[in-house]
Amino acid sequence: MVVIGSGPAGQKAAIQARNLGNTVALIEKTRELGGSCVHRGTIPSKTLRENALRVKNMRMNAELANFKLREDLELATLINRLEIVLHAHDKYMSKQMTRCGVEFIHGRARFLSPTSLEVTKLRQEPEIINCQRIVIATGSHPRVPDNIPIDHEHLLDSDSILSMMYLPKSLVVLGGGVIASEYASIFQALGVKVTMIDKYPRPLGFLDDDLSSTFISAFENMGGTWLGNTNVIKAYWNGYDGVITECEGGLEIKSDKLLCAAGRIANVSDLNIEEAGLQLNSRGLITVDEHLQTQVPSIYAAGDVIGPPSLASASMEQGRRASCNALGKECGRIHQLIPTGIYSIPELSSVGLSETQAKEQYGENVIVGRSFFDEIARGQINDIQDGMLKIVCDPQGRKVLGVMIVAEGATELVHIGQMALLNDNDVDVFVESIFNFPTLAEAYRVAALDVLAQREKIQ
Amino acid sequence: MTTEAVQSPAFLQVEPLLREKTLNGQIDVPMLPEVAGKVVRLTQDPESDAIELAKLIQSDQSLAGHVMRVANSAAYSPNSTMVSLQQAITRLGMKVISEIALAASITSSLFDAPGFEKYIQHELRFSLATGLWSKEVARVCRKNVEAAFLAGLLHDIGRPVAIQSSLEAANELGVDLTKDDVYLLESHYQRLIGSRVVEEWEMPASVISVVRLFDNYSRPHKGQDQTMVVVAGARFAHHFIGKKQGEDRLSLEELTDSNVLADLNLYQDDIEKILEKEEVITSSLEVMHS
Repeated sequence: MVVIGSGPAGQKAAIQARNLGNTVALIEKTRELGGSCVHRGTIPSKTLRENALRVKNMRMNAELANFKLREDLELATLINRLEIVLHAHDKYMSKQMTRCGVEFIHGRARFLSPTSLEVTKLRQEPEIINCQRIVIATGSHPRVPDNIPIDHEHLLDSDSILSMMYLPKSLVVLGGGVIASEYASIFQALGVKVTMIDKYPRPLGFLDDDLSSTFISAFENMGGTWLGNTNVIKAYWNGYDGVITECEGGLEIKSDKLLCAAGRIANVSDLNIEEAGLQLNSRGLITVDEHLQTQVPSIYAAGDVIGPPSLASASMEQGRRASCNALGKECGRIHQLIPTGIYSIPELSSVGLSETQAKEQYGENVIVGRSFFDEIARGQINDIQDGMLKIVCDPQGRKVLGVMIVAEGATELVHIGQMALLNDNDVDVFVESIFNFPTLAEAYRVAALDVLAQREKIQ
Repeated sequence: MTTEAVQSPAFLQVEPLLREKTLNGQIDVPMLPEVAGKVVRLTQDPESDAIELAKLIQSDQSLAGHVMRVANSAAYSPNSTMVSLQQAITRLGMKVISEIALAASITSSLFDAPGFEKYIQHELRFSLATGLWSKEVARVCRKNVEAAFLAGLLHDIGRPVAIQSSLEAANELGVDLTKDDVYLLESHYQRLIGSRVVEEWEMPASVISVVRLFDNYSRPHKGQDQTMVVVAGARFAHHFIGKKQGEDRLSLEELTDSNVLADLNLYQDDIEKILEKEEVITSSLEVMHS
């Protein structure tokens, strides 16, 4: 088998195929393993986030230390552990690949036929590889709208935002998705004056309004500006001292830098997929069935290249399953239940159905229990001012349909809800279980009691 | 011109003295013109503004004239004529103006090296080209673009100072060095001397590290990416204008086969994307080095 791409999906596909006794080659166009997730996305941004959080907390506790962020602080200092983290990650992955016996090929792959690839290498002759099965896991790259001339100097995308030498004074973030929300809140926490602009009324539109409202109010409390329902006509470097963003209605915003986070596009341009008999769908993605198989029987695909949810966690599982399916190996029940984690400040996380989705499926009478972190002991101790957990239940107030959380620690906390959903537990499980005290997990109990109280009223 | 020259008796006399001076920090580092030093510091100060920069450049008549000439050149202002420095800064931005000012300040007249003026002039032109190409390499590699120019511009600053110091040491000893002797001493000591120059000129840490490790970029160090970008920028400059006066340029094949381009993970199409900038860079180079 050949796997193209070494991101979360590619790695797991290669290791799974090797564990099933196959000869596996992993083709990666960069020198390092891990793809954008490791080198330009998830891991670098989370490393920066950790320091942003420290800075925010130090500001909040100004009376404990006379704290002021240096004006000329290099961004590299704020991602100080990144090289160590990446090096360790790279070493671990390389070791794992070597131990498993996966052959690593550094080069760019392009299809010659459904079972044949040409690999272009740096300063070497191309190599032709023939194989029975191929998994495409080439990931994605930032989309650049026509009216935003990204130069990676003043107007940046999510691949180049962390190449900035110093923190800018001000930053315009275009977009309202996960990447935009994460970077906007991280830079705002670091003291950069951030303006977030999007054509939709709210950021993170796939979440319920009360969660995105909590995000907006937390972002604005830090000093950020959210401009929803705003269309950007164009943005450009004024050739002097800033980036100008022109919006419909005559609004003009000037900033030191601009980050365009307007979605991502599948990495397929190098692949020559037509030669394999594949075509992109209308969204520019590779279409797969429930087995992650493309329309060409010998080719499977996983990760960002097949589209949403575009989460590293989901990609890993897709990669594993793609290999199992390609090699005719049973791979267990597929869980549709994938938690979503947004590493903004504060974090947001959800699993199962949102309140909106639940109403669509179960009617308007679904019961929702809420707890606010500033009303529970650990929340008060941690000074969580903008936190909320809600449990969405069926109209009878028994079956848990979904859990949504906004607060620091949400991405960890959500897994309690995930387990309850996987076990088909009634909401009562949260009341009958004893949690450590004081913990944020207590919020489950408080929200569940809220559901029980509403249930009493309808009985 | 070759650095493989036989070591003459004069060389053997001068070399220990130059080594001693270099290691003991006794090299005469040319003073960066006050205005240029201030320009660099000012543009690194987040609180500075265009008015301050305009005032500063205006304090040096010849620098102000040069900046205006460059700002009005076809490379920078194809469709208009600018009449004031303030307008030029407004049009081109503080960073571009400071780059022009710094590049204009580092001229062969900074160095006292009789008989080597043209040679040094070419070296400085090569460094300027390296700075311009480094920016384009950084852009394609998604590395920091802003820092690339300064590091590229100064990566070989030790060369003219090494020539000047060799001639001074020979004078002290009362011996005559041949040109080949000087070139040999230059190639031996320029890196060490260059590091001292940028330290003395209070350049940013990233620039100092590029100058220090330019010939050894694969050694792990802080800012290694930046060093690689400048090494690559220098390869492009070498392809277009030649590294030394009268020396052959790198062929396209030699350029694309450069280790550093592979180390930066630049494939053929990435390299072609950078090469497309030839016209823009050539015209910038002409006007900035005029």
